[in-house]
Amino acid sequence: MADLSLRLDAGQVLGLLGVNGAGKSTTLAMIAGALVPDSGSIQLNGKDFIEHPELASRAIGWLPERAPLWPELTVSEHLDAHGRLRGLHGTALAQARQRIVERLELGPLARRLAGVLSQGQRQRLGLACALLHGPSLLVLDEPANALDPVQVAALRSVIREQAAAGTAIILSTHLLAEVTAACDRVAILHEGRLRYDSPIHGDDHKMLEQTFFDIAMRGDGPGDRMQAA
Amino acid sequence: MSVLAVTRLELRRLFARPLAWVLAALTLAQLAWRFVLLLGGFLAGQIKLAALPGGPGYTDLVGVPMLSSILTGGILPFGVAELALVIVPLLTMSTLAGERSNGTLPLWFAAGLPASRIVLGKYLALMLWLVLWLALALAMPLSLAHGVTLDWGKLAAASLGLLLTLAALAAIGVACSAYASHASIAASIALTIGLALAGVNIAAQKAGATSGVFNWLALSGHLETLLRGLVSTADIAWFVLVIVVALALATQRLAAERERG
Repeated sequence: MADLSLRLDAGQVLGLLGVNGAGKSTTLAMIAGALVPDSGSIQLNGKDFIEHPELASRAIGWLPERAPLWPELTVSEHLDAHGRLRGLHGTALAQARQRIVERLELGPLARRLAGVLSQGQRQRLGLACALLHGPSLLVLDEPANALDPVQVAALRSVIREQAAAGTAIILSTHLLAEVTAACDRVAILHEGRLRYDSPIHGDDHKMLEQTFFDIAMRGDGPGDRMQAA
Repeated sequence: MSVLAVTRLELRRLFARPLAWVLAALTLAQLAWRFVLLLGGFLAGQIKLAALPGGPGYTDLVGVPMLSSILTGGILPFGVAELALVIVPLLTMSTLAGERSNGTLPLWFAAGLPASRIVLGKYLALMLWLVLWLALALAMPLSLAHGVTLDWGKLAAASLGLLLTLAALAAIGVACSAYASHASIAASIALTIGLALAGVNIAAQKAGATSGVFNWLALSGHLETLLRGLVSTADIAWFVLVIVVALALATQRLAAERERG
């Protein structure tokens, strides 16, 4: 990754678009605190995550690609474990778990082992773990992968709900339709660099599609298509 | 608090895996067999032994040999120390290598935990399991404590030796798991290192090398002193050194992985 600078306001949903290997997952892993960048800073409300990784833990919810889970633990145990690792305990943890289980309809799966969940159920559990502690920034890496249309609609509903509650959201995808449906801003990454960053308006789909293909196929130079965010 | 959260989660995962239960069941059954054989031998020679002034008692012939066959010779059935050489690598192999192949390692990093706390938390969970296993093994000779005269000091020293052996092997296993890409590779390397440490002095003697370095390097030499009831600072320092170096290597590897991705 190089020359990447992004700013996200509360309640904003940013779609990070790019072909496979563009650097989306690496960018999100750095934002989530799972990877340390060689240089630069990642800040939330002016506080640097790299210097204070515990801040990232409390303030960020991360759903990595393919929702990695511990197969030997149940859904309920996953939520407890993630809650404890993010500083939730006792009543606060129980209440947060109850809230998220109800919202994502995980009740019937609560005692099921993660290793036997379907991909859609895994994504739902991963999302629940990311949302459990009420993060200020939600980082979703290809969240709609392997979801059926009903599950995708439910996911979009959760994203809109979180954004309305003031959570900033970054969502990576290689699907243009996903960005136009769920995001109010788009950034396009290509070969590790930010090539495009602009708000999305209702009639932007065709223009955005053309921009994406121009960048992906011909690799237009950085800055050529930058617009004011 | 975060170390405890890691320990708690790791312990839960450890007890949820069939492997831990299977290993516990098999090894405890084998130790029970050893206990019965040792007890039978002790009972058979009891009259002769009673006539010997200062002769070996229940602790020397049953209690300590339960823990290791180093002093008694004859390998089968295995004592706790010999079994530990095999089961500790199997228990520790998934600690970090399993997380890596499962894709869950980044979840720990994203929780804002420094590599040292992740390693320490996981190591503590393994040690809790191993302490429980050792306690169950010790319960066999101790179950007859009311009817025999136990040398509590010697048994405590031997138990300390076993505990330190388990701690050292677990630390080596965690380090191997930190460096290996797959759990099976981690287990193989940890097993090899454990066996090498256990037998380096004997191998050196057979090869004609009499250097004190090999004796100092050998785990069995330090354990043997403790099994004889002698608690020496030098032996304890050796175990502590192995544990610290192994955990430091694991921490360094994990921190580097977070940097490199």
